Amino acid sequence: MSVLRNLPEKWDAEVDIVAIGSGAGGLSAAITAHELGASALVIEKSDQVGGVTALSMGEVWVAGNHLASEAGIADSADEGYRYLQTLSMGYGNDLTVLNKVVHARHALKFFEEKIGLRMEVIKGCPDYYYKANPHGISEGRMLEAVPFPAAELGEWQGRTRLSPQMPYGMTHADIFDAGGSANLMKWDFGKMAERLARDERCLGPGLAAYFVKGALDRGIPLWTEASAEELIADGVRVVGARVRRDGQNVFVKANKGVVVAVSSYERRQDYNRTLGTQIDLGSMVFSSIDGANFRLAGPLGARIAKVPDITSLGFTIPGEEDEEGGPLWRTALGALGQPHTIVVNRQGKRFGNESFYRSFYYEVDRIDGGNQTHPNFPCWVILDSQGREKYPFISITPDQDWPEGFGVVADTLADLARMTGIDAAGLDETVARFNGYAEAGEDSEFGRGSHPWSGWMCGDPFHKPNANLGTLRNGPFYAVELKRMGGTAIPSTGLLTDHHSRVVGWDDAPIEGLYAAGNSVARMETGAVMQSGVSNARGMTYGWLAARHACGDPSPLLQQEAIRLGVI
Amino acid sequence: MIETAQTVCVAAPIGSVWNHVKDIRNWARLMPGLQDCTIIDGNDSRWVLKVGVGAMVRTVKVAVHVDQWDGPGRVLFSFKLQGDPVTGEGCYLAMPREDDTTNIQLSLQVSGTGPMAPMWEAMGGPLLPKFARAFAEQRAGGIEEAAGLAPRSQPTRMSWMASLSATLSKILRRLTGWRPAQASEARGQS
Repeated sequence: MSVLRNLPEKWDAEVDIVAIGSGAGGLSAAITAHELGASALVIEKSDQVGGVTALSMGEVWVAGNHLASEAGIADSADEGYRYLQTLSMGYGNDLTVLNKVVHARHALKFFEEKIGLRMEVIKGCPDYYYKANPHGISEGRMLEAVPFPAAELGEWQGRTRLSPQMPYGMTHADIFDAGGSANLMKWDFGKMAERLARDERCLGPGLAAYFVKGALDRGIPLWTEASAEELIADGVRVVGARVRRDGQNVFVKANKGVVVAVSSYERRQDYNRTLGTQIDLGSMVFSSIDGANFRLAGPLGARIAKVPDITSLGFTIPGEEDEEGGPLWRTALGALGQPHTIVVNRQGKRFGNESFYRSFYYEVDRIDGGNQTHPNFPCWVILDSQGREKYPFISITPDQDWPEGFGVVADTLADLARMTGIDAAGLDETVARFNGYAEAGEDSEFGRGSHPWSGWMCGDPFHKPNANLGTLRNGPFYAVELKRMGGTAIPSTGLLTDHHSRVVGWDDAPIEGLYAAGNSVARMETGAVMQSGVSNARGMTYGWLAARHACGDPSPLLQQEAIRLGVI
Repeated sequence: MIETAQTVCVAAPIGSVWNHVKDIRNWARLMPGLQDCTIIDGNDSRWVLKVGVGAMVRTVKVAVHVDQWDGPGRVLFSFKLQGDPVTGEGCYLAMPREDDTTNIQLSLQVSGTGPMAPMWEAMGGPLLPKFARAFAEQRAGGIEEAAGLAPRSQPTRMSWMASLSATLSKILRRLTGWRPAQASEARGQS
């Protein structure tokens, strides 16, 4: 298939690999290219590097990894494949699932050896579907970065992205050994203070910093505030990019390929609506996550693909802003599964297992075609004073005043219902029924608190009989209307790629010279439902695969494994 | 408790410095991140500040009380965040130098109260020295400007700025852009 021909009169710069985006996807491609003897350039639209990787919890899901093996945890890539394959529910692609699983463990070792990436098993962190899926395991696949000393970034220390939402002075181990997010009061803040003072970064900021350092160590140029506006092709293959930098067009020739790793489209409401079928999303990500992957690859005939997805829930708290001056969006996930909270719709009814977002959030956008409504939206999280006194409500700690203008506070449930517009009788009945579940320790209606991951992630392990169930009895009561949010740039729709991360066209053939990685790629390896840690893993894995192919070292592993497992 | 002391040199004699410092409105006008200031009387005021904490910016309300005007060399004050369990004390010291300039030192002590005190202090630890430094620098610049001296040279400011994290630098750049409005607002409400 012939492709675009839009060659410039002259090139302003020339490298082998142009990586567009400075998260794990783009950086891993650039680093891998360098290790294979090629030159690379990283182009970043914003003024900081690290991408959405730095905004994440930094979890990296790698089945059958050597770190778990060394810790004596029984697992295998085969079991990891079966796990993801069942999560896919037929919406993904089995070969893509296998491709991810087969290569992630090798990519992990590659970056450990080459850039000094230091990861460790998140002890006690189960797969989302552990116990609900026979191939899920109780720990071992979820990895996190060992705290990274950001002073090693030199002049890039202040230009490597931090997360405004994540407590990046703490590791998962620090947080969850102390009882998780619900038990903020039990965290070792002395350790946090030392880490913050030394700028040792954990979670997503730590993970991203390792890759930034890897690029810096190799002298790979990182262009910030440089926007890739257009890919350049010669009629046969992609050969470069037009970059807007310092108000000028800069034509960069890419001898071996261009890797599009610009994350997704969450800050474009029109894309959210038309590609994600999601309306009015708040977002935790910065404004340059605007769907450039489609605009760049579209003129080359790139094919896109979509998998089922959820709409997250969150809110903004008065007085909190992001670095760009906008309201700081916070996901409600951590609060929804804590004891002494429920979520109800206008009817005052619960509509799912609030403690397991991958189930619950599918209900948010449910459409009632009979009356053209979303029966479960708007919705409110309700908590009582027990929850308020014991647990943080995301960033609002028990010893802080409840922010003025945030939600509704009332002495009785009836008043709370009146002030919010929730049906009072429905709410009263729901709370009474829920209190019975809480006392029994079992939610027979929606199964709240039945997934081990829920207890680990958002429950209180010290709360009995169930870490996710607590009564709502004591006023004052609080209600916060939940807003729709994107999934931290983990999208439903992305560019379709082959197993070497080559973007494919509508003719199913790869577009020569064009690769994609990270959240720019359609999630054909997860399909219907998601597993935390896959996004960061696919970032580093697909960037690694892309550079290997572009530099003449394509991985042969998939073919071997697919034959062995009978996938093809 | 977390604490810091930041010293800067002002190119003005201590008398000129005191003329500027003794008016609480000048404190507010030069406070980094000031959004609003209500002067209640000569000793009490309420400030609304935007403070960079890591990669986020948080609006805090602060009740400030001057405990002792002991000019021209010293001012003692205390403050309390409204809505947050954080209190603090501070001391402004001015020390004349032989070349008719003045060293001013700003000392701050901040304490969290209640069960979450360690968290507040952990979060405030990296922030406090930068905040105090920024205030002392802006304070010095404001005094020099009021004394009719040329604005502080850009290289000096940039040198200091370069020593901070880029996150703070970005926030300060934003704040610098807001300064004229802040000054106007502060004057208007006083």
